[in-house]
Amino acid sequence: MNIKNICVTLVAFIGLTNANAQYNPLKIPDTLSGTVFNLTVRDTFKQFLPGNQTITAGVNGDFWGPTLIFNQGDTVHINLQSELNDSTTMHWHGMHLPAVMDGGPHQVIPPGTLWQPYWKIDNKATTFWYHPHLHHHTEEQLSLGAGGMIIVRDAEEAALPLPRTYGVDDLPLALTSRKFDAFNAIDYTSSHYGDTMLVNGTLNPQVTLPKQFVRLRILNAEMERGYNLGFSDNRTFWVIGNDGGLLNAPVALTRVPIMVGERVEILVDLGADAIGSNVNLMAYNAGHPLGFPGAEPGTTGPFGSLLNNRNFNILNIVVGATTTGAITSLPATLVTNIYPTAADATLTRNLLVTDGTPGTAFRFDNTDFDLDNINHHVVKGTTEMWTVKNNNIFGHSFHIHDVQFKIVSRSSGAIAAYESGWKDSYYLKIGETVSFVAKFEDYADPLHPFMYHCHFAPHEDGGMMGQFTVEDPSQVPTIGSKGATFTLYPNPASTRLFFSFDDPSAKAYYVTVSNAIGRTLLMLPRPELKNGIDISNFPPGMYVVQLIDEKTKGTVTRKFVKE
Amino acid sequence: MKKSLLNLSLLLVLFLTLGFVPDNNESNYDFRLKNVDGKYVSLKDYPDAKGFIIIFTCNHCPFAKLYPPRFNDINTRYKKLGVPLIAISSSDTIIYSDDSYPKMVRKAKAGKYNFPYLYDNLQTVARNYDAQKTPHAYVIWKENGKWVVKYNGGIDDNGKHPELVTKHYLTDALDALLAGKEVALKETKSIGCKISFR
Repeated sequence: MNIKNICVTLVAFIGLTNANAQYNPLKIPDTLSGTVFNLTVRDTFKQFLPGNQTITAGVNGDFWGPTLIFNQGDTVHINLQSELNDSTTMHWHGMHLPAVMDGGPHQVIPPGTLWQPYWKIDNKATTFWYHPHLHHHTEEQLSLGAGGMIIVRDAEEAALPLPRTYGVDDLPLALTSRKFDAFNAIDYTSSHYGDTMLVNGTLNPQVTLPKQFVRLRILNAEMERGYNLGFSDNRTFWVIGNDGGLLNAPVALTRVPIMVGERVEILVDLGADAIGSNVNLMAYNAGHPLGFPGAEPGTTGPFGSLLNNRNFNILNIVVGATTTGAITSLPATLVTNIYPTAADATLTRNLLVTDGTPGTAFRFDNTDFDLDNINHHVVKGTTEMWTVKNNNIFGHSFHIHDVQFKIVSRSSGAIAAYESGWKDSYYLKIGETVSFVAKFEDYADPLHPFMYHCHFAPHEDGGMMGQFTVEDPSQVPTIGSKGATFTLYPNPASTRLFFSFDDPSAKAYYVTVSNAIGRTLLMLPRPELKNGIDISNFPPGMYVVQLIDEKTKGTVTRKFVKE
Repeated sequence: MKKSLLNLSLLLVLFLTLGFVPDNNESNYDFRLKNVDGKYVSLKDYPDAKGFIIIFTCNHCPFAKLYPPRFNDINTRYKKLGVPLIAISSSDTIIYSDDSYPKMVRKAKAGKYNFPYLYDNLQTVARNYDAQKTPHAYVIWKENGKWVVKYNGGIDDNGKHPELVTKHYLTDALDALLAGKEVALKETKSIGCKISFR
């Protein structure tokens, strides 16, 4: 046996020992920051369990991608290259951005294609995430690990005495669970609930956190399960932020529920804990009424799981030494939010949860989700109240794209302080009606819609989803009008391809570049064309450029030859 | 009258179906594909073979990349027993340029492949075998002059660490067949990248 083999065996042995040990070190995803983000999503594999590796879908890695750090005011450019064996999309959950950049079910990225969305960050500092949103395939692709977290920073948050050293006293925690089959493959078909808890892709995770105030940015990245979070010693913690921003002041709690898609930022005081002592972040999921996802009693079947209706450990925290610059006290106040009220809404929309009886999928308003049907047309600049009624058979996690809203009423009782901030997703309980108010300020686009849906992956895949456009009545395209004509130069081209419009004021709404047999290579929403587009990596051949112009939304096609 | 019309259409359907189905199993599993040496390979080129190990694999898949040394080893052991290994890449080369024929040639050279590595450019062979993943192994055996699938699935139970393999699904099936026994585990889950069919 040579040295290399000995090393491999040793590493493998240590790996096995750790996998059998009670805890594994929590994975802290790498961060990417700046204004250009290169992300590649591909089929790959990860060693989850002893024995064979598990096939996964990773963004820049093997399971659960890097944390993207965005600064408010920056314009971020994403280069999303898909090397998956299936089409996908990538949605920037919670971000306020043009619909054409949103990565919903309409922005399908075929295998081998580069998609380049960009937008100006105007969300407030808090925690967001990105994940595939391909209709009918969200559960599959999310189960395999495609996704990651986003942290937005802004000046208001930066001025506060809060923990913000990533990976030290400020941690992202993506909570989810998986079921593995006899071949160690992720089983996303036999049940929508996993049997084994994963945090940031780590089984049985453990982390050492300093003896001081620490900040946990918790995301429910599940398919369907909700979590009722608390600590094993029932200590008080403080919610400081919701989906879309910090709260006005910390809210003291011992339990907080978090449904699929929701984020909650909490502060935990470890200052009084002995170094080396342990406390567990727990899911207090036992004894919830029907409608709480994961309260089902069964361990088998499509809603069965070994974690159902149980209290279970999420993360083992070991208290370590205090760091320099530690946050040792709780800020009394955070930021000043001006929320819209019910009285600000000039229009109310009513949605009803329907269907979902055994054998049928849940829907809104007895209507099938149809990519070609816009369910609601919102006028740009309007403040609206959306009222969602669920006199149905189960709970849901309602999510809307484009906006951060304020919950203004819950038929089940008062709105809890812990969800009193900016939200993009909320728990819609069984038998409940919830109203929220949002302002649809900008990004009018008559073509590309935004989604609203239940964020339970099997519910959205099943069609519990609708779509709305934000429209500017003064800019209605003439249906059937001819698109802007243009020429491509140089032709043949070798490195960059330039566009010359016959009408110099014309702008591109969408450009796609395909090869001679119709495979899409580039998808460019609203590209800045003045510096041309990079074609230096294309193999020689004939290519087709399809351009939809901003004003008429008409399509014009041109060909070019790559030398 | 109604009945005879029905019978007539049934006959027609039967005729049309049969017209497109090859007349025996053999032609379903046989093929003629270009090898990395430029020559075409077919099962008929091995008149003395008792069976074949057919493995669908490719260049680009991270999990498939773990296996070629094992393919060399299995081919060394079983070819001389009358069961040669043939690897086939049925990848969509329009999406995966790493799986193009010239890159297959390079990969086979770099990996010192001692087995044919064939280019299934129309993906018809993968469809005929119903191959799902890379790698996906089949053992076919000659029975009454026809090729019959005796094993289909994974190669073993550890891709990354060959030294930790505890279940040799493929070679266990081969050993049973060579000993004239029934294959105990005829099918396992093939683990790897999904073959993207055009």
